[in-house]
Amino acid sequence: MVTSLTVNGDRLSSAADPITPLVDVLREEFHLTGAKPVCREGFCGACMVLADGAPTLSCLMPAALAHDCNIRTVEGLALDGTLTPIQAALEACDAVQCGMCFPGMVVTLTHLLTIKPGATRDDIRAALTGNICRCTGYERIVEAALLAVAVK
Amino acid sequence: MPTDPIFRVDPSENSGAMNTQPPGSIYVARSLPAALDALNECGSAGAPFAGGTWIMRSPIRHEPHKPHYVAIGKIPELTAIRIDADVVEIGAAVTHAALASALTELSEFDVLATAAGRSANPAIRTIATIGGNLSTSGFAAADCVPALLCLDAEVEISSRGDQERISLERFLKIRPTLEPGRLLTRIILPRSDCKTAHARLPLRKAGDYPAAIVSLAVSFDAASRVQAVRVAVGSVEPVARRWERLEAALVGRPLDPAQAAEVAAELVDEFTGRDSVELPAWYRVSVLPSLVRRAAVAALDS
Repeated sequence: MVTSLTVNGDRLSSAADPITPLVDVLREEFHLTGAKPVCREGFCGACMVLADGAPTLSCLMPAALAHDCNIRTVEGLALDGTLTPIQAALEACDAVQCGMCFPGMVVTLTHLLTIKPGATRDDIRAALTGNICRCTGYERIVEAALLAVAVK
Repeated sequence: MPTDPIFRVDPSENSGAMNTQPPGSIYVARSLPAALDALNECGSAGAPFAGGTWIMRSPIRHEPHKPHYVAIGKIPELTAIRIDADVVEIGAAVTHAALASALTELSEFDVLATAAGRSANPAIRTIATIGGNLSTSGFAAADCVPALLCLDAEVEISSRGDQERISLERFLKIRPTLEPGRLLTRIILPRSDCKTAHARLPLRKAGDYPAAIVSLAVSFDAASRVQAVRVAVGSVEPVARRWERLEAALVGRPLDPAQAAEVAAELVDEFTGRDSVELPAWYRVSVLPSLVRRAAVAALDS
């Protein structure tokens, strides 16, 4: 059976093996390479996407369970080329380093600021528990998230 | 096996680039009878798929996927938590995040709320289930197992036309050889006035597997002496278990964290730690007295 899902507003389908991790479908079939298959264990957070609005590790989600889901990847966050507040804050704070972890960080923080617009430093650090930055650039990322909170 | 909605792919349709195994199927069960039927029909070629956090990592462990999976995460009775005056019943597909949230106001279950609410990382906690945590024989660092051992949990095992209730300790013994078609469906916890605590030591402060876990449930008599106590140790050996000699040594006197740690240090040699790529066996054992002390402090503060 074909898996049908909505990705960044587009209705798409995949005939991949049902157990195929969603991250592979996104990257190899749909050519959305923002989500990164780094650890494939759910530890690093680089493959984070929003599935029906919830931060989801796409390395651990089989394609079959994404059927009828609304998936939003980092490519689909900025509408009409306008950066979201957290994206703008990350750019303003010069928080981007190698970029491997970054799509996952952006997705996680996008969700946090949606459910908790007044997030504190502790909230931000707790939300990022599952997003590992190999450049250890955490402080600028946290500062950027705090800036986004303040700007709102 | 039920026919709708099965995700099965004709090999000729497979793009082929992403998976070297023959294509399989995932059946999304909408009711418990449908799931049990499907598991029964699949036999040894099938397995339940709850959160999938273990199954999806099979390739990393060089383990082949099963040809068929039965997804149980959308079955209403398996995703429900029932809190009554004398018992709490938890569906096997309840996620760690949902469990931690549901137990927030029940201080007697602090041990389980902490186990469910601190394990792994936030995204894992929204998909990993308590049933998966208990059923995965190869996962020694499961937080909920020692927590539930010290809460004297029972589990319900269901199969097509049959259902039985056994102690969690018994389940841990039989789970590696649980027959195909049998599914852990519920966890049953007696209510009590125990004070409980869960002490875990991950390599990093958060987001990592614990090197060792000590779960504690204790009740006191009128003179504030330990009346009954259950201590369970996880992540040190391949399977979590009660620390009965320590329990016996703590009964009948006040719970003094430092003294409890000293007693634990005298008894700790009964554990044979498991070696792993991240930690040597001796380390897991050596931190147990400190975790006993931390658990005692937390229980007294709860």
